[in-house]
Amino acid sequence: MIVKRRQMNASVPAMAMGDIAFLLLIFFVILARARDDSHLQWKPAVGVELVRPATMNASVVIDKYNVTHLNGREIPISTLSKELKVILGENVAGRRTVLLKIHHEVTAVYFEPVIEAISEAGGELHHILEEDKGR
Amino acid sequence: MKLKRTKLLVEPPASATSDIAFILIVFFLVCASVEPDKGRAQTLPRSEPEPQKDKQSQNIEVELTRDAVIMNGNPVLKETFIKTINLKLADKAREEDKIVAVKSRKEVPYSHWMDITGIIEDAGGIITLQLEEEQTVQVQ
Repeated sequence: MIVKRRQMNASVPAMAMGDIAFLLLIFFVILARARDDSHLQWKPAVGVELVRPATMNASVVIDKYNVTHLNGREIPISTLSKELKVILGENVAGRRTVLLKIHHEVTAVYFEPVIEAISEAGGELHHILEEDKGR
Repeated sequence: MKLKRTKLLVEPPASATSDIAFILIVFFLVCASVEPDKGRAQTLPRSEPEPQKDKQSQNIEVELTRDAVIMNGNPVLKETFIKTINLKLADKAREEDKIVAVKSRKEVPYSHWMDITGIIEDAGGIITLQLEEEQTVQVQ
């Protein structure tokens, strides 16, 4: 007598795929947000003849609440220069680019010390602006 | 005779949900990554605590207020400023003569500062910032 082997059905339920993908989405979004500064609120000033920076070694943002951030992390201005020196290290000229993203309404009392700190750390400033379409 | 009613409710295939979710991921990531990344490079000399006063007096001094420009002590209109700065810097050959000291009042917005420093750089000027140094005085 031949006993028929029982077939084992071990397929992954297709219905769960959507949930898995959705959890992956949340995971990557949270991971990305912890590392960049896209969650910060700022509106760039306008400018003309804008260029894309060749390199990017650090990013400094002053948001619309006048708070300074280095690579997405809030930082007091007093330690900005020191931390930038650590990030930029012994990089050669051309590889010391610091992207500066300042909300267009931020006043000199907030942005000048930041520019000074970047200059002191030997960073090469690149102001991020919005193309002025009216000019 | 009984007629069988056709089912009107058609369930979407469950296997398609993963594709839908994937398309959603791509859509949200593209939306999130649309950030401005163009701008203007600016070269600033390294900050010095005590600038040489005799050399600085020969350079052009620009003071910025909330919406005006003061050039070497005289308030000027933006159009006049563009013409004057271009004229003044046109005959300067040495790098150190092209230095323009920019002093900003506390209330100057970034957009105005970028506008004016852009004009100076386009005219060939090298910007230095004149900052007020904080001093702590102990009163006994």
